[in-house]
Amino acid sequence: MRTLLTLGLFFSAFVYANAAETLPTPSEILAFPAQLTVRGSDDAPQLLIDGKLPNNRSVDLTSAVKYSVSDASIIRVNADGRVFPLANGRAEIVATFGGLTTKIPTIVEAMETPRPLNFNNQIEPILTKMSCNSGGCHGKIQGQNGFRLSLLGFDPELDYTTLLKESRGRRLFPAAPDTSLFLTKSSGQVPHGGGKKMDVGSEEYKILRRWIATGMPYGTATDPTIAKIVVYPNSRVLDRQARQQLAVHAHYSDGTIEDVTRRCQFETNETEVATVNESGLVQTLSMTGQAGVMVRFSGQVNVFRAIVPRPGVAPNFTFAANTIVDNFTSQKWRELGIVPSELCTDEQFIRRAYLDVTGSLPAPAAVTAYVADVATDKRDKLIDRLVETPEFSYYFANKWADVLRVKRRGQPSRATGTFAFHAWIRDAIATDMPYDKFARDIICSSGDEVKSPTTVWYKEVATAENFVDDLSQVFLGQRMACANCHHHPYEKWSQDDYWGMAAFFGRVGKKAIATPGTNNNNQDRKQLIYVRSNGSVTNKRTNKTAPLKPLDAEAVVVDGNDDPREQLADWMTNPANPFFARTVANRYWAHFFGRGIVDPIDDMRVTNPPSNPELLNALATNFIENKFSLKSLVKTICKSRTYQLSAAPNEFNKSDKQSYARYYPKRLAAEVVFDAVCKVTDSPSQFPGLPNDANSPQRAIMLPDESFSSYFLDVFGRPQRISACECERVNEASLAMILHMLNSQEVQDKIARAGGRAEKLAKDPRSDDEKIAELFVWSVGKKPSAEQLALAKEHIAKQPKDKKAAYENIIWALLNTKAFLFNQ
Amino acid sequence: MLQFNGSAGQRFCDGVSRREMLKIGAFGATLTLADAMRAQAAAKKQDTGSQSMKSAIFIYLPGGPSHLDMYDLKPDAPVEIRGDFKPISTNVPGVQICEHFPMQAKMFDKLAVVRSLTSVDEHSDSLVTTGYPERVNATAGHPSFGSVISKLRSESSGAVPPYVSLRGMSRGTEPGYLGVSHRPFTPSGPGNSNLRLANGVNSDRLDNRRNLLESFDDTRREIDASGTMVGIDSYTERALEMVSSGVVRNALNIEKEDAKVRERYKGVEQFLTARRLIEAGVGFVTLSIGGWDTHSGNFTTLKKQLPKVDQAIANLIQDLHDRGMQDDVVTVMWGEFGRTPKVNTSAGRDHWSPAMGALVAGGGLKMGQAIGATNAKGERPKDRAYTVPQVMSTLYRAIGIDPAMTFPNGAGRPMYVLDDREPVKELL
Repeated sequence: MRTLLTLGLFFSAFVYANAAETLPTPSEILAFPAQLTVRGSDDAPQLLIDGKLPNNRSVDLTSAVKYSVSDASIIRVNADGRVFPLANGRAEIVATFGGLTTKIPTIVEAMETPRPLNFNNQIEPILTKMSCNSGGCHGKIQGQNGFRLSLLGFDPELDYTTLLKESRGRRLFPAAPDTSLFLTKSSGQVPHGGGKKMDVGSEEYKILRRWIATGMPYGTATDPTIAKIVVYPNSRVLDRQARQQLAVHAHYSDGTIEDVTRRCQFETNETEVATVNESGLVQTLSMTGQAGVMVRFSGQVNVFRAIVPRPGVAPNFTFAANTIVDNFTSQKWRELGIVPSELCTDEQFIRRAYLDVTGSLPAPAAVTAYVADVATDKRDKLIDRLVETPEFSYYFANKWADVLRVKRRGQPSRATGTFAFHAWIRDAIATDMPYDKFARDIICSSGDEVKSPTTVWYKEVATAENFVDDLSQVFLGQRMACANCHHHPYEKWSQDDYWGMAAFFGRVGKKAIATPGTNNNNQDRKQLIYVRSNGSVTNKRTNKTAPLKPLDAEAVVVDGNDDPREQLADWMTNPANPFFARTVANRYWAHFFGRGIVDPIDDMRVTNPPSNPELLNALATNFIENKFSLKSLVKTICKSRTYQLSAAPNEFNKSDKQSYARYYPKRLAAEVVFDAVCKVTDSPSQFPGLPNDANSPQRAIMLPDESFSSYFLDVFGRPQRISACECERVNEASLAMILHMLNSQEVQDKIARAGGRAEKLAKDPRSDDEKIAELFVWSVGKKPSAEQLALAKEHIAKQPKDKKAAYENIIWALLNTKAFLFNQ
Repeated sequence: MLQFNGSAGQRFCDGVSRREMLKIGAFGATLTLADAMRAQAAAKKQDTGSQSMKSAIFIYLPGGPSHLDMYDLKPDAPVEIRGDFKPISTNVPGVQICEHFPMQAKMFDKLAVVRSLTSVDEHSDSLVTTGYPERVNATAGHPSFGSVISKLRSESSGAVPPYVSLRGMSRGTEPGYLGVSHRPFTPSGPGNSNLRLANGVNSDRLDNRRNLLESFDDTRREIDASGTMVGIDSYTERALEMVSSGVVRNALNIEKEDAKVRERYKGVEQFLTARRLIEAGVGFVTLSIGGWDTHSGNFTTLKKQLPKVDQAIANLIQDLHDRGMQDDVVTVMWGEFGRTPKVNTSAGRDHWSPAMGALVAGGGLKMGQAIGATNAKGERPKDRAYTVPQVMSTLYRAIGIDPAMTFPNGAGRPMYVLDDREPVKELL
């Protein structure tokens, strides 16, 4: 990996050299900030120089311009546009590019009285930037070699005490600051397990040294605190292989603004599109798309969005909108300079829609009828029909049961509950229960598991922490778990936010109900959930009772007789809630398009921006307007023209992975492959422990909980429902999975079953042409090519005595094609 | 082999740069198959020594073997503590082990024992294979050592599974948050029967089927930018290779060994299988010899068991040396915990987690030493106290995996392979 990285760096340097020669000619250059005030010797703000291009775009010229200053005794500007103060006074910086210039009047002041140091504002960020307090080093709970800092500096008081008082005070030595262990270790003058983190005399070193020399001030209660950080620019359209310097300003509670660019941490969420270095210099690579660059400083986060269009002019295209989706997707393609693929064929569409909506293969008769249908709205009608099938409700119930963790853990006594909860979910999907009610019924459930099946959710969600983690991840798209123990490193969420949510669990009461005549150990008892008249949750940070406070909202007070969870549900399901509708809209979008507009789907951080915010907003708004109808959400998505695009790329969208300019093929989920194998081989399955009659589940998508053992489903990645994350389902391929498909007794027995498809076809009086074609349509959704048909017939002809065996081989080959294993 | 050296980026004290950590898991990104491949490929390139990847053998002695009667005898302790066995000298001056380990005594320069471990009182292989106790794993789901190898190497392990368990499945063999596809291959379940042609299929028939598949499988791979389709092609090739070449089947078939060799492993044939699997390129093998929960009749039981262990270990380690593989394979043998120093009224010893021992061999670690010591009564470490995850950390490093690398769990939290990962310095 190191080799790769190094190569990458070389590559970018090389490309930049090239790019510099071919920089476009701007009509004007502008500086940001337009004028500068530099305060104190530590201040060294970042200038940004933008070139305005004729096409209305901007290009970053920060490192390409030549800087000169009117008075070299006042300031110095380096080639990267950083301004260093030398003495109090006024001077002008002149940036020149070609024949263009811009002037930046600059004032330097307070050189003799540098900004008073505050431990949290100035010292902690250095420790964070140098990763001293990362989870791999001193930030881990046991510390490192006897020195422990709070993870990412979220507990400055602890860190201050540790530095000053531990280790007999030898870490800091104000009388001779340069001999402080803190400095000699981090600058590599004495051996340090973490290596050399900074040079003697570097900017960081100087600040740390001054802090020690001035008696290690902690700061006072009246010192300004950080209010927010702002990144400039906040988004930009960039060419491939281009650079953009960022500048980050911290805004403090006293209204002061400080340039903190070099003290921030930068991370990109799409390393294939853009990278960023520790100075905030973004480098785009050779892929079209979008990237978010997360900026972190002192518990505050912000994001820069890079949009990298395809180079050159894309041909114009028209894209009539079927649903609200299409305007926003096509707008994005135009922005990125790419062109959508053609629409898929009817054969492709029916297989795609069947698999995505119902988790089932269409029968050849259905395919034939559909292709023959001349109605112009037949695609819409198909979607309307599919969402009313029992398979739709089973398939989506299975999806929800994963993240709601309908889990028996192999305990027979839990089956009543898991079966009931699954049936409830399925019924809710089938009757299109409004999603706000769906969520509320789960979160606010009370009663015993037979009468109130949704209380089964509280079997796996047994603690206040589970409650926050699962509820936030499933319904709000927020991964809160980090904030249980420390400030979330990539979000604004603090421990107080976490425990504010946890507080709503405080009055959830549980009782075990005995069943008469059984040997009741606790495990076998039914669970009853009720609302206690009192009860609270303790904030782990403050050790005090946590107030009831939803995310980003005011704290609420709940009357002694009311259920606090109702208030939480009110907040969640309010149409103005910024998380609730967007989360499910994104979840469903990802189901059909294989990738969320926010990806991963349950990580909707500020710093993980959607690839198409307008699309996500429109989808969520539409969903709310449709009264939280999940079926209408499915229809809005599946009736869109975007959903009908072919998977085959064109010259302009072949590297597209995030703007849906074509359909991204998806490997079928474990249960869907299993059912499809049963269907194609005509060998239905029975599951252990279920009754053997027509009403019992015959399909894997119908299974109510996770405890039906199946090697097939396991190797294909069925989740064990350990977490509330859809990512637990494995969609990658694995050797064991492929081996099972190619050479397992299980699959072979299905293919060869007496009375199965192979035998039926062998005995079927129709022509081989017809039968082979039917088999192809069953398994891969299309008729064979002439060569494929010829080969199959030749194969049958080779073994006239054992036609069944020949058909078995054909089925085997079809089941192992990509066309079978993928929805495309 | 995954070395994280270099200059660019910011580095953690464990030598991992922040940038690399990022790629491997932070910021909500998952380590994709492709990332893992790249990491492996880069690691391979960087490795200046042997081109083969290092592997590990974990020998689990379920029940909790008695530390005082194997590698940490206390001949000077009162009789109710020292028990029936006497120490013998090894070929390493100053190191003594149990009299029932004569074969190991002759080759102790190829072995090392850590005597100063503490463990937890759980009848579970969780701690010694994942580095976390079962009560933690009940919710956290930390992966087995073998699953980590599987995650990092399944792309590059050719026609053999990266992770084999010769002792079935248990909590300690589970992949946890790495996902079910990193469960071990077990030569008993369906995974194993998949290595033999299914009943009703012979190799001619398989060839015919492959012909058909080649023609039918006409999907343009370029439609799948995720690379899964291409991945499946490579797996298909490898899977069919596994079935036809029978590398794994051969490795599992000890009949292929010379009769004299089989004689050496008589009664402990699993160890021969383990050696053959490692030779075939398997990255991780776990196996066990059972029956160590000696609450009664400790000495009569051990008298039967110890010679078996001696024979197994001595032959395995010697074979690895004879093949020049001693530095490429790291082996560890341990159980859940030690046993009570004081012999109970049934001549047994009960559970004792404050002290435990581990035998380590190979992997380029420093051999021929006994590390740490328990106090005079064998109750708890006296100096150089280490924990089970710290030994595992040393083993991870020995095979080139950084125990400070992270993988995201279901909540997107980057999880360190090991939290407690100071190495056993004496072994390095």
